[in-house]
Amino acid sequence: MSDRFDIAIVGAGVVGCAIARELSRYALRTVLIEARSDLGDGVSKGNSAVLSTGADTPFGTLECRLVARGHQRYLAEAPAMGLPVMPIGSLTVAWNETERERLEAMHKETVAAGFHSGQLVGADEIYRRVPHLSPGAVSAIWEPEEGIVDPFSTPYAYALDAVTNGVEFRSTCPVERAERRDGAWHLHTPKGEVVADTVINCGGLAGARIDAMAGYTDFVMRPRRGQFIVFDKSARPLLDVVLKPVPAPTYRGILMTPTVFGNILVGPTSEEIEDPDDWRVTREGLDTLVAAARKMLPRLLEHEVTATYCGIRPGTERPEYRIIPRPSDRWLTVGGIRSTGLSASLGIAEHVAGIVVGEMTKGERKLETTAVRVPSLAAGGDRPWLNGGADDAAYREIICHCEGITVGEVRDALASPLPPQSLKALKRRTRVMFGRCQGFFCGARVQALFDRLSKERPQ
Amino acid sequence: MTPEHADIVVVGAGPAGLAAAASLAGRGMHRILVVDRDDEAGGLPRFCHHPGFGWEYTHRLESGPGLVRRLLRALDPGIITIAIRTSALAVRPGPEIDIVGIECGHVRVRPRVVVLATGIRERPRSARLVPGRRPAEGILTTGQLQQMVARGVPVKGRRAVVVGTEHVAFSILLTARHAGLEIMAMVGAEDRVMSYAGAGLAARFLMGVPIHLSSKIEDIHGSERVESVTLCGPAGTRTIPCDTVIFSGDFIPDAALLPGSGIDIARVTAGPSVDQFGRTSAVGVFAAGNLLRAVETSGLAAIEGARVGTNVAAYLEGMLGWPRDAASIRVGDGLSYVVPQYWAPSAGLGGAVQALPVSLRALADIRRARLSLSEDGQAIWTGHPTKTLRHRRLALPAAALDRLRGGDIALRIDPA
Ligand SMILES: Cc1cc2nc3c(=O)[nH]c(=O)nc-3n(C[C@H](O)[C@H](O)[C@H](O)COP(=O)(O)OP(=O)(O)OC[C@H]3O[C@@H](n4cnc5c(N)ncnc54)[C@H](O)[C@@H]3O)c2cc1C
Ligand SMILES: Cc1cc2nc3c(=O)[nH]c(=O)nc-3n(C[C@H](O)[C@H](O)[C@H](O)COP(=O)(O)OP(=O)(O)OC[C@H]3O[C@@H](n4cnc5c(N)ncnc54)[C@H](O)[C@@H]3O)c2cc1C
Repeated sequence: MSDRFDIAIVGAGVVGCAIARELSRYALRTVLIEARSDLGDGVSKGNSAVLSTGADTPFGTLECRLVARGHQRYLAEAPAMGLPVMPIGSLTVAWNETERERLEAMHKETVAAGFHSGQLVGADEIYRRVPHLSPGAVSAIWEPEEGIVDPFSTPYAYALDAVTNGVEFRSTCPVERAERRDGAWHLHTPKGEVVADTVINCGGLAGARIDAMAGYTDFVMRPRRGQFIVFDKSARPLLDVVLKPVPAPTYRGILMTPTVFGNILVGPTSEEIEDPDDWRVTREGLDTLVAAARKMLPRLLEHEVTATYCGIRPGTERPEYRIIPRPSDRWLTVGGIRSTGLSASLGIAEHVAGIVVGEMTKGERKLETTAVRVPSLAAGGDRPWLNGGADDAAYREIICHCEGITVGEVRDALASPLPPQSLKALKRRTRVMFGRCQGFFCGARVQALFDRLSKERPQ
Repeated sequence: MTPEHADIVVVGAGPAGLAAAASLAGRGMHRILVVDRDDEAGGLPRFCHHPGFGWEYTHRLESGPGLVRRLLRALDPGIITIAIRTSALAVRPGPEIDIVGIECGHVRVRPRVVVLATGIRERPRSARLVPGRRPAEGILTTGQLQQMVARGVPVKGRRAVVVGTEHVAFSILLTARHAGLEIMAMVGAEDRVMSYAGAGLAARFLMGVPIHLSSKIEDIHGSERVESVTLCGPAGTRTIPCDTVIFSGDFIPDAALLPGSGIDIARVTAGPSVDQFGRTSAVGVFAAGNLLRAVETSGLAAIEGARVGTNVAAYLEGMLGWPRDAASIRVGDGLSYVVPQYWAPSAGLGGAVQALPVSLRALADIRRARLSLSEDGQAIWTGHPTKTLRHRRLALPAAALDRLRGGDIALRIDPA
């Protein structure tokens, strides 16, 4: 049967895409199935985009190990894919004696757990690194290895790599039912049945629901929302590190960080929500963020707000990843990838591939793979008019003025093997309309260009 | 003409930039390059097809595109080059300017003068910190909607709520109707309509649009597209079904070129600080139009552009220098801002220069108030008591300013 795969990955968030990329290294027939029209349109589109080292996750857990490994692999592999990594470092700041004691204890534990890069620093060093920080900081942990990354291009680069190396991607294809028969999983979708020997559930917020389709009820979802405010690029000179409070046991607190695109981000809040689809920013949430900014970096409030958004952590009733292999059933759940999944993605992918290829199926490691490269969207990155590309007029005409995106870049994004199916997806691929005007200047022209090029594209 | 050969680079081909170019040419200047990043010259008026553009400048009742055509007809292409699809990316002291354009590619040039006339934009929903969901479709500014209609981009919505009651909110009522959008309601945070009272009455009674004042949007519903909004106001909370929310007004200068340019930014207006000749704090860089502050009419923006053009000519001919001793005009309690922010001594310049019209706003509505101007503590001019409305320009006659001698200048408003 033509539609029989060795492996079906359900969910094209950063986790599913990383796993698809990893499995594309093996001689396996793999399909990546996504409910929405674009990849990376779930939890993975709304996070802080900090590349953690693992030092702020519970020690001794699988999460801690996979974040550390993911961090290491991201630094090694992301640049070749064109993904920006800015290793700006983080400061976890104590504001009083109680916090200082907690911070020092934290530092000891961190070192004992094998994370050696963090250093305790005093006020002088803190204010040297963040001159605009409010007065009153007493001490901090300086973690030079933490950095910031591009959360939108990351799943895209993984998926592009996977597809280039043989994985099939099916979008707008929600899995509605799963049954095991004739030695294979039959996944029912509105676009027909997908048959695969092994299923990897990377459904994010829908993780427990997808598991339930196959009869597994190992965990329940406890979604937690986090809201953010993005400040104008004019604020960027105020901050050049990730600024964090001393974490509480269950919540890492509101951080302030530059983004790779050159804005300043404040967030996330942490709110238990009933409805996993409650993607609202709220008055209270925004007030909390503004108050945090006023307390730590008051000059931020002199700048315009570019965007507000929220993310929803796919937590479960236990504070850990829920990676559950079921070798005899050939169903693997990759659930509960709550607030570190971007950092851990390549670690998770390696771990999962180890389980799947060893225990569930057999696949030879391919001798050769084709490398992919995505355009860098980072501030100060290569611009097409700077390097030779300028002999193409489309690279000389900027269409999104706030972000400086050319007609040529929009055209290229639409010509991708994984073309954006909506304006929203185009924004994530190119950053058009993501800037301070949010489409006041460019929205109409971008829409017209998108409509025209999408129509011209051979389906 | 390529940017390398330009003596004067005007950034922005809206009413201010185009009028500046015309007046420069009229004063015998050459090698004038106007760059605009859009696909046609004209600025925001290009997209507004109703009348009411340029009156102060042309004394004609024209639509936005009508004004643009008139401004363009006045330009001699032998002297002035307009480069569209050409963006100024950065301005640095010198003045030095980085440009990327479809014709010229990426260049860095050092003209003798740069005139900034980059205009304004509206604050989007995010900048207004409006809570609720963020549906992929259905949240717009009036500027974006107006462009969509003018460019024939399909507007998919059918029922809209308009946020804001400044003039532009009423302008969009007409555009929205034209686009087949039914207006479900207008929402204003203030306790009155910010545009002319007559506009509110016409909307309410001629167009049947309910206006909710002292009200705020507390929630937006819908995932892919807007489904409704929840308002909170004196009458309590109500949910209005709609598929489009149009955020209008709340203008802000498009000052993206200012950081790093050496130009001081005025805190209240968020535009460049200028003196009465349009000189910024960066030598060789002038500014005009709504970049100076949000917001005056296109006619006033054009007048500013024209006068700045005259002053640039005086500068290039060596008659006008760069001020070291401009005095700042202090605005007293109750006033929001004044543009120009500085007044430089101008003895002996006579007709070679032209001061900008004064653009002045009060912070609050005052039933009867009196505006007064003093220098070094001495009253120079006192206005008649008049009704004062925030958002409405306060008049200050040029004759009053002609008497200034470069002392400590203060403006104040007092209830009368
Ligand atoms: C507020 C916040 C801040 C965060 N900050 C950071 C950070 O700084 N650093 C970091 O490393 N991580 C951070 N994270 C965590 C990170 O974003 C997540 O761990 C990660 O995105 C989870 O990815 P995922 O692939 O598991 O989920 P998702 O991205 O949600 O992917 C799941 C996919 O499955 C699809 N799907 C669902 N149901 C079906 C179905 N029936 N059929 C087919 N497809 C289906 C969904 O549409 C979705 O695309 C943060 C998270 C939040 C919420
Ligand atoms: C919806 C709406 C309705 C309005 N209705 C009225 C009305 O009825 N009557 C009225 O008088 N006024 C109205 N206005 C206001 C009026 O149109 C503007 O205030 C006026 O056009 C200001 O002129 P300007 O030259 O200062 O700026 P703009 O017209 O904004 O022109 C600025 C130009 O600069 C260009 N530019 C900006 N940055 C760069 C850069 N870095 N490089 C190159 N080019 C750049 C832009 O593309 C633009 O063309 C309305 C505005 C809007 C949005």
